[in-house]
Amino acid sequence: MAENAQLVLDGNAAGGLLQEIFDGEITSALIQCDACDSTEAVGSLRLYASTMGAVLRCNHCDSVLMRAVRTPHGHWIEMKGARCLKL
Amino acid sequence: MRAIESVALPVRRLEWQLAQVREIVVETIRVKSLRLHVTGWQGHRPGQHVDIRLTAEGGYQAQRSYSIASAPEDELLALTVERVNNGEVSPYLVDELRAGDQFELRGPIGGYFVWTADMSGPLCLIAGGAGVAPLMAMLRHRDGQSSRPLTLLLYSSRSLDDVIYREELDAMARCDPKLGIVYALTRKQPEGWTGQRGRIDKALLARVCFPPEQNPKIFVCGPTTFVEYVATLLVELGNDPLSIKTERFGPTGG
Amino acid sequence: MDTAPISRGFKSRREERAPKNRLPPGQHVTTDFPVLSAGPTPLNTLEKWTLVVQLGGSQRGKWNWTEFEALPQTTKKTDIHCVTKWSKLDTTWQGVTFDDLLKAAGLAEPPAPYIMAHCDGGYTTNLPVADLIDGKGMIATRYEGLPIPAEHGGPARLFVPHLYFWKSAKWVRSMRFMERDERGFWESLGYHNYGDPWKEQRYEGD
Repeated sequence: MAENAQLVLDGNAAGGLLQEIFDGEITSALIQCDACDSTEAVGSLRLYASTMGAVLRCNHCDSVLMRAVRTPHGHWIEMKGARCLKL
Repeated sequence: MRAIESVALPVRRLEWQLAQVREIVVETIRVKSLRLHVTGWQGHRPGQHVDIRLTAEGGYQAQRSYSIASAPEDELLALTVERVNNGEVSPYLVDELRAGDQFELRGPIGGYFVWTADMSGPLCLIAGGAGVAPLMAMLRHRDGQSSRPLTLLLYSSRSLDDVIYREELDAMARCDPKLGIVYALTRKQPEGWTGQRGRIDKALLARVCFPPEQNPKIFVCGPTTFVEYVATLLVELGNDPLSIKTERFGPTGG
Repeated sequence: MDTAPISRGFKSRREERAPKNRLPPGQHVTTDFPVLSAGPTPLNTLEKWTLVVQLGGSQRGKWNWTEFEALPQTTKKTDIHCVTKWSKLDTTWQGVTFDDLLKAAGLAEPPAPYIMAHCDGGYTTNLPVADLIDGKGMIATRYEGLPIPAEHGGPARLFVPHLYFWKSAKWVRSMRFMERDERGFWESLGYHNYGDPWKEQRYEGD
């Protein structure tokens, strides 16, 4: 990780937004990366762009596993980089 | 995928609630704990955090997350805040806020980085700086139990003066043979210090942490590089990556 | 709408007074320059850097760093506005305008009405070509006279200051012409397809 490493948080910090979307707690869910097969807890994923929404990336290969945004017109979520989520 | 234990609790819909400052505790020159009364607070599990929101005259808003440092059994909710240089929110919370002031708060949030006394196995807590806050919630909760697991707190701090909750931690360890506390002092050490000088390394972890065969529950919290570095070393020492729970504390925007 | 409770004594540390009419609705002026990225900062060696202009399956232009730096340079001083509500006034950027890029690619006219910018790390953003030509857009390589720092998009980023700054894509490597509009990274996840700060077009549906 490079010079601005300390700005990168994790899925725990996106917990509030994710809880709004899933109407439940999912940071303890396991998520499997479709690109490299690795399995991690959502809370442990690296979080980017947290002021615009949440971009959660695989710790092993940096693939985007989940993207989420809160807008005044509703929430958006996309998870095509994840093979599955186990709640 | 292998199933992991999870504590299924109904999750309440997140709403912004009003938090009122009842007491401010000076922890170190950079750190204070805010003890809050939150209207309608329904409780939390150790390790969870809250989002807080400050609104200025004129409508400007800033939002940040802080770990809850108090045990669920405590009367008031405690947040421990470190002043970040050039920060926008932490200098306000540490330097300006007074008893009687208020802000908005929502939570508790989180289910991954959580430990409750019904979880079995030895407990290994590794803190970098202000990352000790959620681990303190776990220790305070543990302290109130009649039956306690073997526990280690490994706490990396710049100096002894920067150790947050130092008196409380030393008192806990004095009274409880099942609790061990090890400090790693990275910048300044007192005369005659026989403990770790400099940051946590693989040799220290190998020496003080529970061996992987004992299936410890491991929680690591602190700055991002600290957390990732320690987690990597723990995996190298044979710990199952899924048994190591991490929480990265940034300056979180200050 | 309910007003949120005021926290006594709290004010934005970085706020500055803005001259009237300089700030789009809902924005605050900041003195610092927040870093916002959808992924890790790419590590780039200038020796390997290239920029391409693509149309259909073919490359219409390709430049390495030396070649790119040799193209006509333009300097622009202007305000920038982030959808997260901060604005920076009077920022100075230098680079190659989209007009000069087209010329260098031997294109007298833009061959298609839309562009998708593709960046290291996979970020994308889409724009009408009309919002890039006539000096409206450039590929910037310098900020305040110095090479753009990596965390702010260096060595080169798209720069389209009349739209919200997420359109000024960091680490741009390819400008791909499209016959039909397609949505980029944020545009496909609830953000506005166009993003005019003066009409406060932050989100899809605004």
